[in-house]
Amino acid sequence: MRRILLHIAAAVVLTMASLPMLQAQQRTAEKWTPPRTADGHPDMQGMWARRGVAIAEANAPKTPLSEFGTTGQPYPTVFNTGVSTPQAASALANRPSGIIEPANRVLPWRPEADAARREFLSHMIPPASLKYVEASARCVPPGLLGGDDRHPYQIVQRPGSLVLMYEYNHVTRVIHTDGRPHVGPNIRLYMGDSIGRWEGDTLVVDTTNFNDRTSFSQTIPFHSDALHTVERFTLIDPYIIDYQLTIEDPKMFTAPIRIAGTFAAAAKGSELMEFACAEGSQTLPNIFGFGLFPEQ
Amino acid sequence: MLAIHDLQQGTRESYHERHMKKRVALWFALCIFVVALPAWAQAPTRAILRTSDGKPDLNGVWQVLNAAAWDLEDHNASLRVPAGQSVVEGGEIPYQPAALAKKKENFQRREANDPAEAACYMPGVPRATYMPFPFEIIQNPKLITISYEFGHTRRSIFTDGTPHPDGFPDFWMGDSRGRWEGDTLVVDVTNLDERTWLDHAGNHHSDALHVVERYTMTDPDHLLYEATLEDPKVFTRPWKISMPLYRRMEKNVKILEYECVQYIQEQKYGKAKPVGAK
Repeated sequence: MRRILLHIAAAVVLTMASLPMLQAQQRTAEKWTPPRTADGHPDMQGMWARRGVAIAEANAPKTPLSEFGTTGQPYPTVFNTGVSTPQAASALANRPSGIIEPANRVLPWRPEADAARREFLSHMIPPASLKYVEASARCVPPGLLGGDDRHPYQIVQRPGSLVLMYEYNHVTRVIHTDGRPHVGPNIRLYMGDSIGRWEGDTLVVDTTNFNDRTSFSQTIPFHSDALHTVERFTLIDPYIIDYQLTIEDPKMFTAPIRIAGTFAAAAKGSELMEFACAEGSQTLPNIFGFGLFPEQ
Repeated sequence: MLAIHDLQQGTRESYHERHMKKRVALWFALCIFVVALPAWAQAPTRAILRTSDGKPDLNGVWQVLNAAAWDLEDHNASLRVPAGQSVVEGGEIPYQPAALAKKKENFQRREANDPAEAACYMPGVPRATYMPFPFEIIQNPKLITISYEFGHTRRSIFTDGTPHPDGFPDFWMGDSRGRWEGDTLVVDVTNLDERTWLDHAGNHHSDALHVVERYTMTDPDHLLYEATLEDPKVFTRPWKISMPLYRRMEKNVKILEYECVQYIQEQKYGKAKPVGAK
Protein backbone atom coordinates (compact mmCIF):
# COMPACT_ATOMS: atom_id res chain seq x y z
CA MET A 1 0.00 0.00 0.00
CA ARG A 2 2.77 2.35 1.00
CA ARG A 3 4.57 1.39 -2.17
CA ILE A 4 1.48 2.16 -4.20
CA LEU A 5 1.16 5.55 -2.48
CA LEU A 6 4.80 6.23 -3.22
CA HIS A 7 4.23 5.36 -6.85
CA ILE A 8 1.24 7.70 -7.01
CA ALA A 9 3.18 10.46 -5.31
CA ALA A 10 6.08 9.99 -7.70
CA ALA A 11 3.70 10.05 -10.65
CA VAL A 12 2.10 13.27 -9.40
CA VAL A 13 5.47 14.90 -8.84
CA LEU A 14 6.67 13.83 -12.27
CA THR A 15 3.50 15.05 -13.93
CA MET A 16 3.68 18.42 -12.18
CA ALA A 17 7.33 18.74 -13.05
CA SER A 18 6.64 18.04 -16.70
CA LEU A 19 3.63 20.39 -16.96
CA PRO A 20 5.57 23.55 -17.70
CA MET A 21 7.48 21.62 -20.35
CA LEU A 22 4.24 20.41 -21.92
CA GLN A 23 2.84 23.93 -21.86
CA ALA A 24 5.97 25.23 -23.45
CA GLN A 25 5.70 22.62 -26.17
CA GLN A 26 2.08 23.59 -26.78
CA ARG A 27 3.03 27.22 -27.03
CA THR A 28 5.75 26.35 -29.51
CA ALA A 29 3.24 24.40 -31.58
CA GLU A 30 0.87 27.38 -31.51
CA LYS A 31 3.51 29.93 -32.42
CA TRP A 32 3.25 30.28 -36.16
CA THR A 33 6.31 31.05 -38.23
CA PRO A 34 5.59 33.28 -41.21
CA PRO A 35 6.95 32.47 -44.67
CA ARG A 36 9.85 34.73 -45.52
CA THR A 37 11.04 36.69 -48.52
CA ALA A 38 14.56 36.17 -49.89
CA ASP A 39 15.84 38.98 -47.67
CA GLY A 40 14.46 37.31 -44.53
CA HIS A 41 11.37 39.41 -43.72
CA PRO A 42 7.84 38.02 -43.27
CA ASP A 43 6.26 37.49 -46.69
CA MET A 44 3.05 39.54 -46.72
CA GLN A 45 2.67 39.50 -50.49
CA GLY A 46 -0.81 38.94 -51.81
CA MET A 47 -4.32 40.32 -51.94
CA TRP A 48 -5.91 41.66 -48.77
CA ALA A 49 -9.21 43.09 -47.58
CA ARG A 50 -8.97 45.85 -44.98
CA ARG A 51 -11.26 45.90 -41.97
CA GLY A 52 -11.80 48.20 -39.01
CA VAL A 53 -9.51 51.05 -40.04
CA ALA A 54 -11.82 53.97 -39.28
CA ILE A 55 -12.15 56.78 -36.78
CA ALA A 56 -15.71 56.59 -35.40
CA GLU A 57 -15.60 58.97 -32.45
CA ALA A 58 -18.07 58.96 -29.58
CA ASN A 59 -20.43 61.96 -29.45
CA ALA A 60 -19.77 62.82 -33.10
CA PRO A 61 -21.62 65.90 -34.34
CA LYS A 62 -24.61 65.22 -36.54
CA THR A 63 -23.93 65.95 -40.18
CA PRO A 64 -26.40 66.03 -43.08
CA LEU A 65 -23.79 63.96 -44.94
CA SER A 66 -24.78 60.88 -42.97
CA GLU A 67 -28.19 60.94 -44.68
CA PHE A 68 -26.35 60.04 -47.90
CA GLY A 69 -25.20 56.72 -46.44
CA THR A 70 -22.24 55.78 -44.33
CA THR A 71 -19.22 53.74 -45.23
CA GLY A 72 -19.56 50.02 -44.70
CA GLN A 73 -22.43 49.42 -47.09
CA PRO A 74 -21.13 47.22 -49.88
CA TYR A 75 -21.39 48.42 -53.45
CA PRO A 76 -23.05 45.94 -55.74
CA THR A 77 -20.10 44.55 -57.64
CA VAL A 78 -19.51 41.89 -60.26
CA PHE A 79 -15.98 41.43 -59.06
CA ASN A 80 -15.03 39.40 -56.05
CA THR A 81 -13.12 42.26 -54.55
CA GLY A 82 -12.69 43.08 -50.90
CA VAL A 83 -14.04 39.71 -49.88
CA SER A 84 -11.96 37.84 -47.35
CA THR A 85 -11.69 34.06 -47.09
CA PRO A 86 -13.94 32.07 -44.69
CA GLN A 87 -10.90 31.40 -42.48
CA ALA A 88 -10.18 35.11 -42.26
CA ALA A 89 -13.86 35.89 -41.70
CA SER A 90 -13.99 33.67 -38.60
CA ALA A 91 -10.70 35.07 -37.34
CA LEU A 92 -12.05 38.59 -37.82
CA ALA A 93 -14.76 37.98 -35.21
CA ASN A 94 -12.38 38.61 -32.31
CA ARG A 95 -10.21 41.27 -33.92
CA PRO A 96 -9.85 44.75 -32.42
CA SER A 97 -11.40 47.38 -34.64
CA GLY A 98 -11.50 51.17 -34.79
CA ILE A 99 -10.40 53.54 -32.03
CA ILE A 100 -8.69 51.68 -29.18
CA GLU A 101 -7.17 54.72 -27.48
CA PRO A 102 -8.79 56.65 -25.91
CA ALA A 103 -10.83 53.62 -24.86
CA ASN A 104 -14.07 55.63 -24.59
CA ARG A 105 -13.54 56.93 -28.18
CA VAL A 106 -13.95 60.52 -27.02
CA LEU A 107 -11.23 62.23 -29.05
CA PRO A 108 -8.84 64.65 -27.30
CA TRP A 109 -9.91 67.65 -29.41
CA ARG A 110 -8.31 71.02 -29.06
CA PRO A 111 -11.41 73.20 -28.54
CA GLU A 112 -10.52 75.56 -31.41
CA ALA A 113 -10.02 72.62 -33.81
CA ASP A 114 -13.31 71.05 -32.77
CA ALA A 115 -15.07 74.38 -33.33
CA ALA A 116 -13.41 74.78 -36.73
CA ARG A 117 -14.56 71.38 -37.95
CA ARG A 118 -18.13 71.95 -36.70
CA GLU A 119 -18.14 75.22 -38.58
CA PHE A 120 -16.77 73.41 -41.66
CA LEU A 121 -19.47 70.71 -41.45
CA SER A 122 -22.18 73.36 -41.40
CA HIS A 123 -21.13 74.50 -44.91
CA MET A 124 -21.01 71.06 -46.54
CA ILE A 125 -24.68 70.43 -47.45
CA PRO A 126 -25.21 72.11 -49.80
CA PRO A 127 -21.51 72.85 -50.30
CA ALA A 128 -20.75 76.55 -50.00
CA SER A 129 -17.87 76.19 -52.48
CA LEU A 130 -15.47 73.60 -53.89
CA LYS A 131 -13.57 73.44 -50.60
CA TYR A 132 -16.67 72.15 -48.81
CA VAL A 133 -17.43 69.32 -51.25
CA GLU A 134 -16.72 66.05 -49.48
CA ALA A 135 -13.18 64.87 -50.22
CA SER A 136 -14.13 61.48 -51.66
CA ALA A 137 -16.57 63.17 -54.05
CA ARG A 138 -13.66 65.30 -55.30
CA CYS A 139 -11.52 62.16 -55.79
CA VAL A 140 -9.00 63.41 -53.26
CA PRO A 141 -6.47 60.68 -52.42
CA PRO A 142 -7.76 58.97 -49.28
CA GLY A 143 -4.92 59.51 -46.83
CA LEU A 144 -4.46 56.71 -44.32
CA LEU A 145 -8.02 56.71 -42.90
CA GLY A 146 -10.18 57.67 -45.86
CA GLY A 147 -9.39 54.43 -47.69
CA ASP A 148 -11.99 51.88 -48.26
CA ASP A 149 -13.00 48.54 -46.76
CA ARG A 150 -14.84 47.43 -49.88
CA HIS A 151 -11.96 47.38 -52.33
CA PRO A 152 -8.94 45.10 -51.98
CA TYR A 153 -5.34 45.96 -51.31
CA GLN A 154 -2.26 44.26 -52.70
CA ILE A 155 1.18 43.97 -51.13
CA VAL A 156 4.34 43.38 -53.17
CA GLN A 157 7.74 43.20 -51.47
CA ARG A 158 11.16 43.93 -52.95
CA PRO A 159 14.53 44.14 -51.24
CA GLY A 160 14.51 47.61 -49.69
CA SER A 161 10.82 48.37 -50.07
CA LEU A 162 7.28 47.16 -49.52
CA VAL A 163 4.59 48.36 -51.91
CA LEU A 164 1.01 48.74 -50.64
CA MET A 165 -1.45 49.22 -53.47
CA TYR A 166 -5.02 50.36 -52.91
CA GLU A 167 -7.65 49.51 -55.49
CA TYR A 168 -9.53 52.50 -54.04
CA ASN A 169 -8.57 55.58 -56.07
CA HIS A 170 -5.58 53.59 -57.46
CA VAL A 171 -3.23 54.78 -54.70
CA THR A 172 0.25 53.21 -54.63
CA ARG A 173 2.42 53.57 -51.53
CA VAL A 174 6.07 52.56 -52.04
CA ILE A 175 7.38 52.22 -48.47
CA HIS A 176 11.17 52.30 -48.60
CA THR A 177 12.97 50.32 -45.89
CA ASP A 178 16.49 51.11 -47.12
CA GLY A 179 17.27 53.62 -44.41
CA ARG A 180 16.68 56.74 -46.51
CA PRO A 181 15.36 59.85 -44.73
CA HIS A 182 12.01 61.59 -45.25
CA VAL A 183 11.78 64.10 -48.10
CA GLY A 184 12.40 67.75 -47.26
CA PRO A 185 9.90 69.56 -45.01
CA ASN A 186 8.52 71.78 -47.79
CA ILE A 187 7.31 68.81 -49.83
CA ARG A 188 3.66 68.20 -48.90
CA LEU A 189 1.77 65.16 -50.13
CA TYR A 190 -1.82 63.89 -49.95
CA MET A 191 -0.57 60.44 -48.94
CA GLY A 192 2.38 61.76 -46.95
CA ASP A 193 5.94 60.44 -47.19
CA SER A 194 6.21 56.92 -45.76
CA ILE A 195 9.48 55.44 -44.52
CA GLY A 196 9.52 51.91 -43.13
CA ARG A 197 11.75 49.84 -40.91
CA TRP A 198 11.53 46.26 -39.65
CA GLU A 199 11.31 45.81 -35.89
CA GLY A 200 11.71 42.04 -35.72
CA ASP A 201 8.85 40.71 -37.83
CA THR A 202 6.80 43.91 -37.65
CA LEU A 203 6.98 46.53 -40.38
CA VAL A 204 6.85 49.96 -38.75
CA VAL A 205 5.93 52.80 -41.13
CA ASP A 206 6.54 56.42 -40.18
CA THR A 207 4.65 58.94 -42.31
CA THR A 208 5.15 62.72 -42.34
CA ASN A 209 4.99 65.52 -44.97
CA PHE A 210 1.18 65.39 -45.21
CA ASN A 211 -0.72 68.33 -46.65
CA ASP A 212 -3.96 69.39 -44.89
CA ARG A 213 -6.28 68.37 -47.73
CA THR A 214 -7.47 64.87 -46.93
CA SER A 215 -10.25 63.97 -44.52
CA PHE A 216 -10.42 61.49 -41.64
CA SER A 217 -14.16 60.76 -41.81
CA GLN A 218 -17.52 62.35 -42.61
CA THR A 219 -17.44 64.19 -39.28
CA ILE A 220 -13.71 65.00 -39.33
CA PRO A 221 -13.42 66.65 -42.75
CA PHE A 222 -9.78 67.71 -42.42
CA HIS A 223 -6.59 67.37 -40.40
CA SER A 224 -3.56 69.62 -40.24
CA ASP A 225 -0.20 69.48 -42.00
CA ALA A 226 1.36 68.63 -38.62
CA LEU A 227 -0.09 65.12 -38.94
CA HIS A 228 2.35 62.34 -38.14
CA THR A 229 1.36 58.68 -38.27
CA VAL A 230 3.00 55.40 -37.28
CA GLU A 231 1.61 52.17 -38.71
CA ARG A 232 2.56 48.68 -37.59
CA PHE A 233 1.99 45.68 -39.88
CA THR A 234 2.43 42.20 -38.33
CA LEU A 235 1.56 38.96 -40.11
CA ILE A 236 0.11 36.86 -37.28
CA ASP A 237 -1.19 33.87 -39.28
CA PRO A 238 -1.63 33.04 -42.96
CA TYR A 239 -4.87 35.03 -43.11
CA ILE A 240 -4.37 38.03 -40.86
CA ILE A 241 -2.10 41.08 -40.83
CA ASP A 242 -2.51 42.86 -37.51
CA TYR A 243 -2.61 46.59 -38.27
CA GLN A 244 -2.14 49.40 -35.78
CA LEU A 245 -2.20 53.08 -36.58
CA THR A 246 -1.13 55.87 -34.25
CA ILE A 247 -2.20 59.38 -35.20
CA GLU A 248 -0.53 62.47 -33.84
CA ASP A 249 -1.78 65.85 -34.95
CA PRO A 250 -0.83 68.41 -32.29
CA LYS A 251 -2.76 71.19 -34.06
CA MET A 252 -5.96 69.10 -33.79
CA PHE A 253 -5.59 66.85 -30.74
CA THR A 254 -3.87 67.10 -27.37
CA ALA A 255 -2.89 63.40 -27.30
CA PRO A 256 -2.20 60.60 -29.79
CA ILE A 257 -5.10 58.48 -31.05
CA ARG A 258 -4.65 54.77 -31.65
CA ILE A 259 -6.64 52.73 -34.15
CA ALA A 260 -6.54 48.98 -34.67
CA GLY A 261 -7.58 47.08 -37.75
CA THR A 262 -6.91 44.06 -39.89
CA PHE A 263 -5.79 43.17 -43.36
CA ALA A 264 -7.52 39.82 -44.00
CA ALA A 265 -6.51 37.53 -46.86
CA ALA A 266 -8.73 38.21 -49.87
CA ALA A 267 -10.45 35.49 -51.83
CA LYS A 268 -8.18 33.48 -54.09
CA GLY A 269 -8.11 34.78 -57.63
CA SER A 270 -9.03 38.36 -56.78
CA GLU A 271 -6.95 41.03 -58.48
CA LEU A 272 -6.85 44.81 -58.45
CA MET A 273 -9.24 46.34 -60.95
CA GLU A 274 -8.96 49.85 -62.36
CA PHE A 275 -10.70 52.36 -60.10
CA ALA A 276 -11.37 55.44 -62.19
CA CYS A 277 -12.63 58.29 -60.01
CA ALA A 278 -12.44 61.65 -61.74
CA GLU A 279 -12.84 60.25 -65.25
CA GLY A 280 -16.39 60.99 -66.29
CA SER A 281 -17.59 61.76 -62.76
CA GLN A 282 -20.72 63.95 -62.81
CA THR A 283 -20.51 65.04 -59.16
CA LEU A 284 -18.88 68.43 -59.70
CA PRO A 285 -20.75 69.22 -62.95
CA ASN A 286 -23.99 68.54 -61.03
CA ILE A 287 -22.95 70.78 -58.14
CA PHE A 288 -21.62 73.66 -60.24
CA GLY A 289 -23.73 73.33 -63.36
CA PHE A 290 -20.88 72.95 -65.87
CA GLY A 291 -18.32 70.29 -66.75
CA LEU A 292 -14.61 70.31 -67.45
CA PHE A 293 -15.08 70.18 -71.23
CA PRO A 294 -16.72 73.07 -73.09
CA GLU A 295 -19.50 70.89 -74.54
CA GLN A 296 -20.57 69.59 -71.12
CA MET B 1 88.53 47.87 -58.47
CA LEU B 2 87.41 44.30 -58.56
CA ALA B 3 84.60 45.18 -56.34
CA ILE B 4 83.53 47.94 -58.70
CA HIS B 5 83.77 45.61 -61.76
CA ASP B 6 81.70 42.98 -60.00
CA LEU B 7 79.24 45.59 -59.13
CA GLN B 8 79.06 46.92 -62.71
CA GLN B 9 78.79 43.37 -64.10
CA GLY B 10 76.05 42.60 -61.68
CA THR B 11 74.20 45.78 -62.52
CA ARG B 12 74.47 45.05 -66.23
CA GLU B 13 73.09 41.55 -65.77
CA SER B 14 70.13 42.65 -63.71
CA TYR B 15 69.43 45.43 -66.22
CA HIS B 16 69.20 42.80 -68.98
CA GLU B 17 66.96 40.66 -66.83
CA ARG B 18 64.65 43.56 -66.08
CA HIS B 19 64.56 44.58 -69.73
CA MET B 20 63.66 41.05 -70.71
CA LYS B 21 60.85 40.87 -68.13
CA LYS B 22 59.47 44.19 -69.30
CA ARG B 23 59.43 43.01 -72.91
CA VAL B 24 57.62 39.78 -72.01
CA ALA B 25 55.08 41.71 -69.96
CA LEU B 26 54.46 44.15 -72.81
CA TRP B 27 53.97 41.36 -75.34
CA PHE B 28 51.65 39.58 -72.92
CA ALA B 29 49.57 42.69 -72.39
CA LEU B 30 49.41 43.34 -76.13
CA CYS B 31 48.25 39.76 -76.80
CA ILE B 32 45.49 40.05 -74.20
CA PHE B 33 44.43 43.41 -75.62
CA VAL B 34 44.24 42.02 -79.17
CA VAL B 35 42.34 38.91 -78.08
CA ALA B 36 39.95 40.80 -75.80
CA LEU B 37 39.38 43.83 -78.05
CA PRO B 38 36.39 42.50 -80.08
CA ALA B 39 34.58 41.25 -76.96
CA TRP B 40 35.25 44.50 -75.12
CA ALA B 41 33.96 46.54 -78.04
CA GLN B 42 30.77 44.49 -78.45
CA ALA B 43 29.72 43.63 -74.90
CA PRO B 44 27.81 46.20 -72.84
CA THR B 45 30.05 48.07 -70.47
CA ARG B 46 28.03 46.80 -67.51
CA ALA B 47 25.76 43.77 -67.31
CA ILE B 48 22.06 44.43 -66.63
CA LEU B 49 20.68 43.40 -63.24
CA ARG B 50 18.47 40.34 -63.04
CA THR B 51 15.72 39.25 -60.66
CA SER B 52 15.84 35.95 -58.76
CA ASP B 53 13.91 34.26 -61.60
CA GLY B 54 16.59 35.35 -64.09
CA LYS B 55 14.56 38.03 -65.88
CA PRO B 56 15.96 41.50 -66.54
CA ASP B 57 15.31 43.56 -63.39
CA LEU B 58 13.19 46.51 -64.50
CA ASN B 59 12.59 47.77 -60.95
CA GLY B 60 13.27 51.45 -60.56
CA VAL B 61 12.17 54.95 -61.50
CA TRP B 62 12.22 55.77 -65.24
CA GLN B 63 11.38 58.74 -67.44
CA VAL B 64 11.51 59.82 -71.08
CA LEU B 65 13.53 62.76 -72.35
CA ASN B 66 11.62 63.86 -75.44
CA ALA B 67 8.69 65.95 -76.63
CA ALA B 68 6.37 63.10 -77.65
CA ALA B 69 3.78 64.07 -75.02
CA TRP B 70 3.11 67.28 -76.99
CA ASP B 71 3.22 65.67 -80.42
CA LEU B 72 4.38 62.22 -81.54
CA GLU B 73 5.28 63.60 -84.98
CA ASP B 74 7.81 66.24 -86.08
CA HIS B 75 6.80 69.60 -84.64
CA ASN B 76 8.15 73.09 -84.04
CA ALA B 77 8.23 74.76 -80.66
CA SER B 78 5.48 77.08 -79.45
CA LEU B 79 4.67 78.68 -76.11
CA ARG B 80 5.33 76.10 -73.34
CA VAL B 81 5.82 73.39 -76.00
CA PRO B 82 9.34 72.13 -76.81
CA ALA B 83 10.15 71.23 -80.42
CA GLY B 84 10.59 67.56 -81.20
CA GLN B 85 11.49 65.08 -83.89
CA SER B 86 8.98 62.34 -84.69
CA VAL B 87 9.13 59.15 -82.62
CA VAL B 88 6.96 57.45 -85.27
CA GLU B 89 8.73 54.96 -87.52
CA GLY B 90 8.56 56.49 -91.02
CA GLY B 91 7.73 59.89 -89.55
CA GLU B 92 3.93 60.10 -89.95
CA ILE B 93 0.90 58.35 -88.47
CA PRO B 94 -0.99 56.46 -91.24
CA TYR B 95 -4.49 57.87 -90.70
CA GLN B 96 -7.55 57.01 -92.72
CA PRO B 97 -8.88 60.26 -94.35
CA ALA B 98 -11.80 60.79 -91.93
CA ALA B 99 -9.59 60.09 -88.94
CA LEU B 100 -7.00 62.60 -90.19
CA ALA B 101 -9.73 65.24 -90.39
CA LYS B 102 -10.68 64.43 -86.79
CA LYS B 103 -7.05 64.74 -85.72
CA LYS B 104 -6.87 68.21 -87.30
CA GLU B 105 -10.05 69.26 -85.49
CA ASN B 106 -8.67 67.89 -82.20
CA PHE B 107 -5.48 69.89 -82.77
CA GLN B 108 -7.43 73.13 -83.19
CA ARG B 109 -9.32 72.53 -79.93
CA ARG B 110 -6.54 70.84 -77.98
CA GLU B 111 -6.32 73.33 -75.11
CA ALA B 112 -9.98 72.73 -74.20
CA ASN B 113 -10.42 69.12 -75.26
CA ASP B 114 -7.25 67.15 -74.50
CA PRO B 115 -8.58 64.62 -71.96
CA ALA B 116 -5.28 64.36 -70.06
CA GLU B 117 -4.48 68.09 -70.01
CA ALA B 118 -7.95 69.68 -69.83
CA ALA B 119 -9.63 67.14 -67.52
CA CYS B 120 -6.69 65.19 -66.02
CA TYR B 121 -8.07 61.86 -67.14
CA MET B 122 -5.67 58.92 -67.02
CA PRO B 123 -3.49 59.21 -70.15
CA GLY B 124 -3.98 55.65 -71.45
CA VAL B 125 -1.38 53.44 -73.12
CA PRO B 126 1.10 54.25 -74.60
CA ARG B 127 0.74 57.97 -73.68
CA ALA B 128 1.36 57.38 -69.95
CA THR B 129 4.90 56.24 -70.81
CA TYR B 130 5.97 59.50 -72.47
CA MET B 131 4.21 62.02 -70.27
CA PRO B 132 7.00 64.27 -68.94
CA PHE B 133 6.78 62.68 -65.47
CA PRO B 134 8.66 59.78 -63.87
CA PHE B 135 7.13 56.36 -63.33
CA GLU B 136 8.17 53.40 -61.24
CA ILE B 137 8.27 49.77 -62.35
CA ILE B 138 7.48 47.31 -59.54
CA GLN B 139 8.42 43.83 -60.71
CA ASN B 140 7.27 40.53 -59.30
CA PRO B 141 7.44 37.19 -61.21
CA LYS B 142 3.68 37.08 -61.85
CA LEU B 143 2.85 40.77 -61.93
CA ILE B 144 4.59 43.89 -63.14
CA THR B 145 3.02 47.10 -61.87
CA ILE B 146 3.76 50.52 -63.31
CA SER B 147 3.05 53.45 -61.02
CA TYR B 148 3.01 56.76 -62.94
CA GLU B 149 3.48 60.06 -61.11
CA PHE B 150 0.99 61.80 -63.44
CA GLY B 151 -2.32 61.59 -61.54
CA HIS B 152 -1.01 58.63 -59.51
CA THR B 153 -2.10 56.46 -62.42
CA ARG B 154 -1.29 52.78 -62.14
CA ARG B 155 -1.56 49.72 -64.32
CA SER B 156 -1.07 46.02 -63.71
CA ILE B 157 0.72 43.89 -66.31
CA PHE B 158 -0.08 40.26 -65.55
CA THR B 159 2.82 37.95 -66.48
CA ASP B 160 1.27 34.77 -65.09
CA GLY B 161 0.27 33.43 -68.51
CA THR B 162 -3.38 34.48 -68.20
CA PRO B 163 -5.16 35.76 -71.31
CA HIS B 164 -7.20 38.97 -71.61
CA PRO B 165 -10.45 38.30 -69.77
CA ASP B 166 -13.58 37.79 -71.83
CA GLY B 167 -16.31 40.36 -71.82
CA PHE B 168 -14.52 42.98 -69.73
CA PRO B 169 -15.36 46.64 -70.17
CA ASP B 170 -12.81 49.13 -71.46
CA PHE B 171 -10.38 50.65 -69.00
CA TRP B 172 -8.60 54.00 -69.16
CA MET B 173 -5.30 52.12 -68.92
CA GLY B 174 -6.50 49.01 -70.76
CA ASP B 175 -5.94 45.38 -69.86
CA SER B 176 -2.27 44.36 -70.04
CA ARG B 177 -0.93 40.81 -70.29
CA GLY B 178 2.85 40.41 -70.52
CA ARG B 179 5.32 37.71 -71.48
CA TRP B 180 9.07 37.52 -71.83
CA GLU B 181 10.60 37.00 -75.28
CA GLY B 182 14.21 36.37 -74.28
CA ASP B 183 15.17 39.52 -72.39
CA THR B 184 12.34 41.65 -73.81
CA LEU B 185 9.10 42.19 -71.90
CA VAL B 186 6.29 42.08 -74.47
CA VAL B 187 2.97 43.51 -73.28
CA ASP B 188 -0.29 43.01 -75.14
CA VAL B 189 -2.79 45.78 -74.33
CA THR B 190 -6.49 45.67 -75.22
CA ASN B 191 -9.75 47.04 -73.70
CA LEU B 192 -8.51 50.62 -74.14
CA ASP B 193 -11.08 53.38 -73.64
CA GLU B 194 -11.59 55.35 -76.86
CA ARG B 195 -11.71 58.67 -74.98
CA THR B 196 -7.95 58.99 -74.43
CA TRP B 197 -5.69 60.84 -76.86
CA LEU B 198 -2.21 59.72 -77.90
CA ASP B 199 -0.65 63.15 -77.30
CA HIS B 200 -1.51 66.83 -76.80
CA ALA B 201 -1.65 67.37 -80.60
CA GLY B 202 -4.94 65.49 -80.83
CA ASN B 203 -3.64 62.21 -82.23
CA HIS B 204 -6.39 59.73 -81.40
CA HIS B 205 -7.69 56.17 -81.69
CA SER B 206 -10.90 54.18 -81.32
CA ASP B 207 -12.02 51.43 -78.94
CA ALA B 208 -10.50 48.96 -81.43
CA LEU B 209 -6.97 50.07 -80.49
CA HIS B 210 -4.60 47.20 -79.82
CA VAL B 211 -1.13 48.08 -78.51
CA VAL B 212 1.88 45.78 -78.27
CA GLU B 213 4.66 47.24 -76.13
CA ARG B 214 8.23 45.99 -75.94
CA TYR B 215 10.53 46.91 -73.04
CA THR B 216 14.20 45.96 -73.61
CA MET B 217 17.06 46.86 -71.27
CA THR B 218 19.98 48.06 -73.37
CA ASP B 219 22.19 48.63 -70.31
CA PRO B 220 21.46 48.88 -66.56
CA ASP B 221 20.18 52.45 -66.86
CA HIS B 222 18.39 52.52 -70.22
CA LEU B 223 15.29 50.81 -71.57
CA LEU B 224 14.31 50.77 -75.23
CA TYR B 225 10.55 51.32 -75.37
CA GLU B 226 8.71 50.29 -78.51
CA ALA B 227 4.97 50.25 -79.12
CA THR B 228 3.03 49.05 -82.14
CA LEU B 229 -0.46 50.53 -82.53
CA GLU B 230 -3.13 48.78 -84.54
CA ASP B 231 -6.62 50.23 -85.00
CA PRO B 232 -8.50 49.25 -88.18
CA LYS B 233 -11.14 51.95 -87.55
CA VAL B 234 -8.59 54.80 -87.52
CA PHE B 235 -5.30 53.80 -89.20
CA THR B 236 -4.54 52.28 -92.61
CA ARG B 237 -1.93 49.90 -91.13
CA PRO B 238 -0.18 49.15 -87.82
CA TRP B 239 2.51 51.70 -86.96
CA LYS B 240 5.30 51.88 -84.46
CA ILE B 241 6.89 54.34 -82.06
CA SER B 242 10.18 53.87 -80.22
CA MET B 243 12.19 55.86 -77.70
CA PRO B 244 14.70 55.31 -74.92
CA LEU B 245 13.62 55.46 -71.27
CA TYR B 246 16.18 56.74 -68.80
CA ARG B 247 16.70 55.57 -65.23
CA ARG B 248 16.35 58.44 -62.77
CA MET B 249 19.73 58.35 -61.04
CA GLU B 250 19.23 60.80 -58.18
CA LYS B 251 19.95 59.38 -54.76
CA ASN B 252 16.69 58.66 -52.90
CA VAL B 253 14.59 59.39 -55.99
CA LYS B 254 10.96 58.44 -55.50
CA ILE B 255 7.60 59.01 -57.14
CA LEU B 256 6.01 62.13 -55.65
CA GLU B 257 2.51 63.43 -56.45
CA TYR B 258 1.10 65.26 -59.46
CA GLU B 259 -2.53 65.45 -58.37
CA CYS B 260 -3.75 66.86 -61.66
CA VAL B 261 -7.43 66.28 -60.81
CA GLN B 262 -7.19 68.51 -57.75
CA TYR B 263 -5.38 71.30 -59.64
CA ILE B 264 -7.87 71.28 -62.52
CA GLN B 265 -10.80 71.37 -60.05
CA GLU B 266 -9.24 74.44 -58.42
CA GLN B 267 -8.82 76.08 -61.82
CA LYS B 268 -12.34 75.30 -63.09
CA TYR B 269 -14.44 75.42 -59.90
CA GLY B 270 -12.28 77.26 -57.38
CA LYS B 271 -14.23 80.51 -57.74
CA ALA B 272 -17.50 78.99 -58.92
CA LYS B 273 -20.71 79.06 -56.89
CA PRO B 274 -22.72 75.87 -56.61
CA VAL B 275 -26.05 75.86 -58.44
CA GLY B 276 -28.70 77.24 -56.09
CA ALA B 277 -26.17 78.58 -53.54
CA LYS B 278 -27.15 81.83 -51.81
